[in-house]
Amino acid sequence: MRDGDREDLELHRRLSSGDRGAFDELYRRYAGSAYGLAYRVTGQQILAQDVVHDAFMALWRTPEAYDPGRGPFRTFFLALVHHRAVDLVRRESRLRARSERAANLEPLVGEDPADAIAEESYLGVRRKEVREALAGLPPEQRQVLEMAYFGGKTQVQIAEELGIPLGTVKTRTFAGMRKLRAALEETG
Amino acid sequence: MIDGHGEAQELLAGYALQSLSDEDAAEADRLLTEHVPGCSECRMMLDAFQAVAGELALEAEPVAPPDPLLPRIHREMDARGRSGMRWTPGRLVAAAASVVLVVGVGGMALSQLEDRKTAQVPAADVQGLADFVVQHPTLLRQPLGGNAQEISAQGVQELYVYGRGVPFPAPGLVYRLWAVSRHHATHLSDFLPYPDGTVLVRLEVDPATFDHLLVTVEPAGSEPSEPGDPAWPEAG
Repeated sequence: MRDGDREDLELHRRLSSGDRGAFDELYRRYAGSAYGLAYRVTGQQILAQDVVHDAFMALWRTPEAYDPGRGPFRTFFLALVHHRAVDLVRRESRLRARSERAANLEPLVGEDPADAIAEESYLGVRRKEVREALAGLPPEQRQVLEMAYFGGKTQVQIAEELGIPLGTVKTRTFAGMRKLRAALEETG
Repeated sequence: MIDGHGEAQELLAGYALQSLSDEDAAEADRLLTEHVPGCSECRMMLDAFQAVAGELALEAEPVAPPDPLLPRIHREMDARGRSGMRWTPGRLVAAAASVVLVVGVGGMALSQLEDRKTAQVPAADVQGLADFVVQHPTLLRQPLGGNAQEISAQGVQELYVYGRGVPFPAPGLVYRLWAVSRHHATHLSDFLPYPDGTVLVRLEVDPATFDHLLVTVEPAGSEPSEPGDPAWPEAG
C-alpha cells in the first residue's frame, strides 16, 4: 500500500468518527480530481459543482459506505463521483432534449474550466500510471472505454455512434478493462 | 439469460463503467443479486473492474473547484448533520422508541415522489445494493408481494426493499412501508416504482427490532398514522 493510500485510510477513519478536520483534508486532496472528472463528464461547471458537492456530502453522511477491504479510498470516492456525474449528465441530456424540442433552444455553450491545480505527489504519480496504461491499449479499446467513461454513453449509444455491433462494443470493453486491470495492478 | 462466467464478466465490465442500458442493466441486476454473491471468481472480477473504474478518474485533468464550494458544503454539514433524511414517523415514534429509522438513498420524502415519475434508478443506488449483496454472502430474502422483496443480512442495521416489475398504484396513491411488530407498526417510508417498475429503497434500520415489513397503499400526502390496506395481500 502506498503512503498516500495509508494516509487516506487514517483520514477516513477519523472522518467516520466525526472529525471535520479529516473531512477538510480529504476535500483538499480530492476536490480537484473530483471536480476535474465531473467537469470532463458533464461539460458544465455548475453541474460539476453539484456533483462534487453531492459526493462529499454523501461521504460525510455515510462514511461507512467505504469498505477499506475493497481497495483504496481514492478509487471508491472517485468512482462515486463518476457515478453521480454520469447520472446527472444523462438526466440533464434528457431534460435538455425535451426542452429544446419544446422551445427550440440553442444547445448550451461550453465553458472554460478553471486553471489546473497542483496536487499531492502520490496522486500525480498514479495519474501518470493510469494515463500510460490507457495509452497502452489498442485504439479501438481505448475509444470505447473513453466514450463510456468520460462521455457517459451507454454501450448501445456507442455501437450506434461507431456503426459497429453491440457485441463488438462489449468485447472491446471487456478486453480493455482486463488489460487496464493488469497494467494498473503491475504498477499499483 | 447469461449463465457463464465469461459472459457475466463481460457484462460486469460494462456495469463498472456504468455503460449498460435497458436489457443489459436488468440482466446485470439479476447477476448481482443471484449469481455474483455466490461466485468468488465473478466477485473478484467485479471488485477489480470497479477499482479500474475508480482509477480511470485520474485520467481527467484535476481542476480547482470554485472557492465557495467548500463553505457551501460546510453549511450543509452544519444544517443536516450526519444522519441523512431522518424520518420522524409522528405518533408512532413513541410506540417504537427502540427503532431508529433513517431513510437512505432509495427512500424519499413525499415532495420528492413526483421526481420519480421521470427519473431512473440512480446507478449509485444500484451500486449500493450490489455492494450490500456482495459484502453479505448470507442474505435473507423475504418476499413482500408485488414482485418486491426485503433483502437483509443478520446483524446488519441496514436493509433494502428491491423489486422489478412492481405494479404502479392507482393515481393519487403511494406505497407505504411499515415495520410491524406484535403490538405496533412504524411508518418507514413512502415510495413509488421507477417508470420501468423498479423499486429500490434503502433503510438504515435493525431488522431485529421488528417482526416483518408491510407494504400498504395509501393516499399520497396522507398522515401515516396506521397501516391501511395491504398493497399485495398475497404476501400474507
